[in-house]
Amino acid sequence: MSDTQPTFETIQLSDLENMAPEDRDALEFGVIGLRPDTRADVYNATEANMAGVDPAQVLGAPFFSTIGQCMNNFMVAQRFEDEPDLDDIVPFVLTLRMRPTRVRLRLLQARDTERRYILVER
Amino acid sequence: MSEEDDLLSFMYACPFGLMELDAQGNIGLINPHAMKHLLPLAGAYGVENFFSATEKYAPELRNFADSFVDSHGTICDGHRIVVDLGYNNRSRQPKVLACSLVKRGPDQLIATLSDISAQVAQEQRMRQADTWFSALIDQINDHALLTIAGDGTVLFANTSFERQTGYTAEQVIGHPLDSVLSEADSADQMTFSIADQLALATRDGWHLFEGWEQRVNGERYWCQRLLVARAEQGDSDNPTFSMVLRDVPEPTEKTNDLIELLTRDYLTGATNRMQFHKVLKLEHTRCTTRRQPLALIILDLDDFKSLNDEHGHPAGDTVLKEVTRIGADCTPARAIFARLGGEEFALLLPEKSLHEAVDLAQTLRRRIAELKIEVPGGHIDVTASLGCAELSETDGSSDDLIRVADRRLYDAKSEGRDRVAPAAA
Repeated sequence: MSDTQPTFETIQLSDLENMAPEDRDALEFGVIGLRPDTRADVYNATEANMAGVDPAQVLGAPFFSTIGQCMNNFMVAQRFEDEPDLDDIVPFVLTLRMRPTRVRLRLLQARDTERRYILVER
Repeated sequence: MSEEDDLLSFMYACPFGLMELDAQGNIGLINPHAMKHLLPLAGAYGVENFFSATEKYAPELRNFADSFVDSHGTICDGHRIVVDLGYNNRSRQPKVLACSLVKRGPDQLIATLSDISAQVAQEQRMRQADTWFSALIDQINDHALLTIAGDGTVLFANTSFERQTGYTAEQVIGHPLDSVLSEADSADQMTFSIADQLALATRDGWHLFEGWEQRVNGERYWCQRLLVARAEQGDSDNPTFSMVLRDVPEPTEKTNDLIELLTRDYLTGATNRMQFHKVLKLEHTRCTTRRQPLALIILDLDDFKSLNDEHGHPAGDTVLKEVTRIGADCTPARAIFARLGGEEFALLLPEKSLHEAVDLAQTLRRRIAELKIEVPGGHIDVTASLGCAELSETDGSSDDLIRVADRRLYDAKSEGRDRVAPAAA
């Protein structure tokens, strides 16, 4: 990795795809990667710590019907359905450890990449 | 994994919304499922307080909690909130949430939230099936039966009809139905002419109606009528209908209380959002069939949030009640005045032109501006902005009627408030 860490706003879909898991874990923001069937196969350490959830509970499970239920509406889940090329930052409120927590989400999806990402910045 | 992690995972995955609130409705704890429903209602900047987040769709929740005096207990159980008036909703089915509130202490409430849309749709189907089933049973028992042509002429009357009403079959066959039966429903419900009822039965397959009926000897009785479009004949230009009439005991006080509870806004007594939605659909069908105009006024109080912040919710509640009083005063026959939520009201005006709607909106605006609400140390001035629309200006759907009226309300707001848009029709 280069000296300048990519930020929540600047990181690209291709950066995330090519990154080693330990580098993704070192990012300052949460990274959730989803398969086309919405099962999570990336859940970085930053996100796991903030949410207080063991990644083993998340990986392999359909994200929007389990831990990501609050995103299962037109604000997030529907946008992945509707917009094949998506790169947008939306204000959001997560329920980390059951406390309402204001965050910014960045939704990333491209036609040529199978995995789609949700980045979480507190 | 620790016990706490177990508990967290359990709460994250819970398919049911759960929240802990203080007495003002500020959210302390909330699980993801509850957030899933709250965010689309309130947006990311409005979900700190449960009562504010649901204000637009269920303003009564705050009143329920405020007026609950015991220190512990159930405030409401499975209270239904209809969260879509159609035009933001892809499926066109209104989404229905059920909310329960339990008080755990002077400053602690637990709220639950779940989506019961599918259950409500199922209930509607059951009710329809039940109606059809009753109609079949009714023919076995002693219930009056008529066959009616599409133009409202009676084609057939059975002996039970003669017994129930005192008319002979010869007296009614070949005569228009409205010369035999009354068109007026119970006092505070809608009046639908026989032609309207036939149109509704054509659209929905059936129509239920109840009210006072009169026998030949002048005696009054409470009558339930079920009108069913007959499907057996292939000639769609000349449809026929069956009507079943039941002589039933007059509805009790309890039934009327229930009707009141289900159709009125808890605080102001105005028609509630759910009932407005229902009447709008019925009137839309009726006015379209009869080629009558259908106008709508949407009214929103100006700067209501700062009024609440400055003078408190009780003062805000008084304003809402006064505005409802004026609204009810200005409501012509057949029209309904409804509270859609928060500080937003609607006046649905069947058979009125845009011109008439604008005139009425000006009267409402003027009377609201004349209101003086007394508060400690002075009084509050209230103003409202109003948007009017008529069906012929739209794509013909009731959704678009709301959309056009809403857009004009927005124009009235941006042009400086305390005004009506369009200014003149």
